[in-house]
Amino acid sequence: MTPFSALLSHYRRHPWQGVALATLMLLATALWTGIHHLTSQARASLSQSEQVVEARYQIQRVDGAALSVDDFVALRRQGLCLMPWLEVLPEDESRRVIGVDPLAALCFQGQGDVASFDGQPLRGDPFMDIADAAALPARQAQLFLIVDPDSGALSDDYRITDFSLAPDTGQLGDSFLLNLDALSVLVLLITGLLLRSVYLLSLSQRRDSFALLNRFGVPVRRVRGYLVVELLCLAAVTLIPGILLGQILANALAGGFASVMEGLFDSRQLATAANTWLVPSVVMMTLLLLVCAADWLIPDKLRQSAIVGHRSGGLAGMLLVVGAGGLWLASDLLTLFVAVALVLAGAGLLMPWCLSALSSRLARGCKRPLMRRWWAEYGVLCRRLALPLVALQLSLAMVLAVQALVTTFEATFDRWLEQRLSADYYLEVPTGAEGRTAAHWLAQNLPASSGALWHRVLRGQAQVQLGDEWQAVDVFALAPVGALVTDWELFENVEQPWRKLAAGEGVLVNEQLAYREQLGAGDSLPLKLAGQIISMPILGVYPDYGRPAGEVLMAGDHLPDGFAVSFESFSISPGSIGIEAITGALSELWQEPSLTVRDNLSIRDLANRVFDQTFALTRAMTLLTLALAAVALLLMGWVFLATRLWYFRLLEVWGMARPAIFLRLLSLALMVSLSAAILALPVGIGLTWVLVQRINPLAFGWSLPMDLYPGFWLELLALALVIGVCIGLLMHRQLGRPAVRPSVTGTVTGEER
Amino acid sequence: MEKTLLTVSGLAKSFGRDEAAVSVLANLTFDLPAGGSLALMGRSGSGKSTLLNMLCGLEPPDAGELTLFGQDHRHADWQRLRRGRIGVVFQEANLMPTLSLLDNVRLRASLAGQPEAHCQHWLDVLDIGDLAHRFPDQVSGGQRQRAALAMVFAMSPDLILADEPTGSLDRVTADEVADSLFRLQADTGCALILATHDAELASRCQSTLDLAHRTTAQDAAVSKP
Repeated sequence: MTPFSALLSHYRRHPWQGVALATLMLLATALWTGIHHLTSQARASLSQSEQVVEARYQIQRVDGAALSVDDFVALRRQGLCLMPWLEVLPEDESRRVIGVDPLAALCFQGQGDVASFDGQPLRGDPFMDIADAAALPARQAQLFLIVDPDSGALSDDYRITDFSLAPDTGQLGDSFLLNLDALSVLVLLITGLLLRSVYLLSLSQRRDSFALLNRFGVPVRRVRGYLVVELLCLAAVTLIPGILLGQILANALAGGFASVMEGLFDSRQLATAANTWLVPSVVMMTLLLLVCAADWLIPDKLRQSAIVGHRSGGLAGMLLVVGAGGLWLASDLLTLFVAVALVLAGAGLLMPWCLSALSSRLARGCKRPLMRRWWAEYGVLCRRLALPLVALQLSLAMVLAVQALVTTFEATFDRWLEQRLSADYYLEVPTGAEGRTAAHWLAQNLPASSGALWHRVLRGQAQVQLGDEWQAVDVFALAPVGALVTDWELFENVEQPWRKLAAGEGVLVNEQLAYREQLGAGDSLPLKLAGQIISMPILGVYPDYGRPAGEVLMAGDHLPDGFAVSFESFSISPGSIGIEAITGALSELWQEPSLTVRDNLSIRDLANRVFDQTFALTRAMTLLTLALAAVALLLMGWVFLATRLWYFRLLEVWGMARPAIFLRLLSLALMVSLSAAILALPVGIGLTWVLVQRINPLAFGWSLPMDLYPGFWLELLALALVIGVCIGLLMHRQLGRPAVRPSVTGTVTGEER
Repeated sequence: MEKTLLTVSGLAKSFGRDEAAVSVLANLTFDLPAGGSLALMGRSGSGKSTLLNMLCGLEPPDAGELTLFGQDHRHADWQRLRRGRIGVVFQEANLMPTLSLLDNVRLRASLAGQPEAHCQHWLDVLDIGDLAHRFPDQVSGGQRQRAALAMVFAMSPDLILADEPTGSLDRVTADEVADSLFRLQADTGCALILATHDAELASRCQSTLDLAHRTTAQDAAVSKP
């Protein structure tokens, strides 16, 4: 019998404690690994997608037909530098692979080998040889022909377009991912708190054994060494399955996530092999050792004074003040994240201190001894369950913030869809065609009585004077200014902005330009347009949802002569007339057999479906975190209250009825969980504010609206009550069992003194 | 001439600081020969447990000299001494709650470098051999104390420090445990320091040190019965 086996005997004697600790470690690892896996996979896929479609051009048939091998052969014979690009969505996969011909790619790259493309091996992540890709059983496959536009002239049957398939959401995707990253860090913090609380609980129950071993002459350092070995063994047993479980969880959700990313962020989700073992293993192992064994690195006196002593309130206050100052003043993301960490640490320290101080004060003020004892017992619970309570508080705050963020994103995406896809159809004016004649035709043939709405968009460039410099901005000129745009939500505006815009009495600017240059409604904007310098009042600021370029929106009817139109399109809601009649007429008018028409309705429908999915996934992950925190509090509340049961039994011995004792226990459990929820509200609101109003503007230059959802607060409070009731019911069960008289005061101390 | 096992000279200990300081022991002097037995008498708070803690290195003295096995307390390897030469029996909480009685004894023996094969023997000697595989919370208080004694004897100590070993037991059980303790102490020839407020138990020791009144502690002297 060795001291180490004697230490391990705790888990032989109390196997369920070992199982609970291991399970919590496993679940915590799985949770964080899952979230990390999803975000890193999404990030890697997005980055891969951006990389592979960057600055590439494709060939399309003018008649709109799909490209075939015959097209490839014909174009190659014309001497064009071409590469076939076969995108395949395999039957049992959620992400695409790309079949390429490395030999053909050589004419782009100038050098390389036949076993790789863009420096990446042809292993299917995402690139593979086109012959292998063609042989895959596929749900969907599409051939593209990537072309070097300078390699030769095209015949009239083909045209060159950008290799991009959907509207660009700009930085909206990056923003969403950044917020997910921030949440993943928060989940890591909560995971750490949970692990620490459960581990400390198991240690506290073994403290007598440690003391005894010390009396037997086993040095404290050696006992700590055994505990580290035990921890490593526990980690080996739980981390690997936890990581595996996290991956399974992530992969189960990844299909949905991939399609979400694909739908949302204009990036085809390509197969990307993420390294999912190393980072979670190292992070979780470090976290485990840090949260469980870090105490031994801090001198006892310092730890006692910092955590238990009266200074913790002051320390918490200081962290909060410094953190809040940082949040307000931070001018870069790093400072902001540090400030968030300080605020969370301050809030975490403050909560047990506050509740403990409150209970002491209320206990002192009580005249009835039983009530005084109730408040004292509440204080004991708050002190001894401080860590799981803080974990629950932060989890609730996170869920609150995520709920607000996701709902805000949801609403923002809706508005973005409304703005970008306001009409049912989007129609490009072909190169060389005259948009003005089409506008004339539409004005004559789409009467208001038909319910049809339309406008023409002329896109070009202008320069605005900002300080002493002139900067290029995009110009969107609309005509007519009608119901397709007048529903847009403006951040700020003058009186009747749309009427004045239509009358050419001013311009609207996008949020990005306004934020960057501190412009607002009513300001005057010097504008160099078609060689003329005019000064226009700003009628309002409209949200751009992440488009980084500065934009000026003006009336197309008041464009100066000589304005260079770089792109022209129509947005049309055809009403009762039908789009086929309109495209047929315009096709005839322009003498173009095939027009590029985008069905905005179906895109919006698809986008809505994937939005719903992504938001459901995000909510699911945060709710899992909350569930984990709730289970931890439940377990710890149960175990800890069991050690105090003896004192409640005394009440029974003194003549109190068991139902009355149960009510006291239940009310204590409810009060504790409800306290965590109530204190989570300000933290959650603060976190929401930081995410939408500070992180986003600092990272991307635009903000999301700060919306609060009080209905959800009530849901969280109800959830906290459910947790409290569960603890109370478990205690009710315990109350019926024989309680063990505490033999050593240290095992049941509530730090009452 | 008897070989001296323990020499204490001018030993002092107080708790708290400045005005709140409470002197528990002051200018305490005594010695103990190898194989001898000494009873520490006194009311609760008189410093019996504190003295025992200092004698096994769990508390450092504030002043004075303490020499055990020829080693000065400042330089003694207390952990090694507690592992192999000093056996400590407290009033309660002597056993690892998660080990069976036999495993507790085996643990103590292995820490002292003694063979584990004899552990069952010590439980048998103390009349609890049939309870060897029970856990501490499955036996009575008297049986737990006997197991604690078995643990101490299994390590073959040179000195046993016993802090109220029968304090929580009924008279009959207390007598049985005390009988076992003194019988085995005589058989093995180890020294014994016993803290107790029981005069009858103290009278079974060769000498008594009265710590009853803190104010007179400095005048305390070993009295031969």
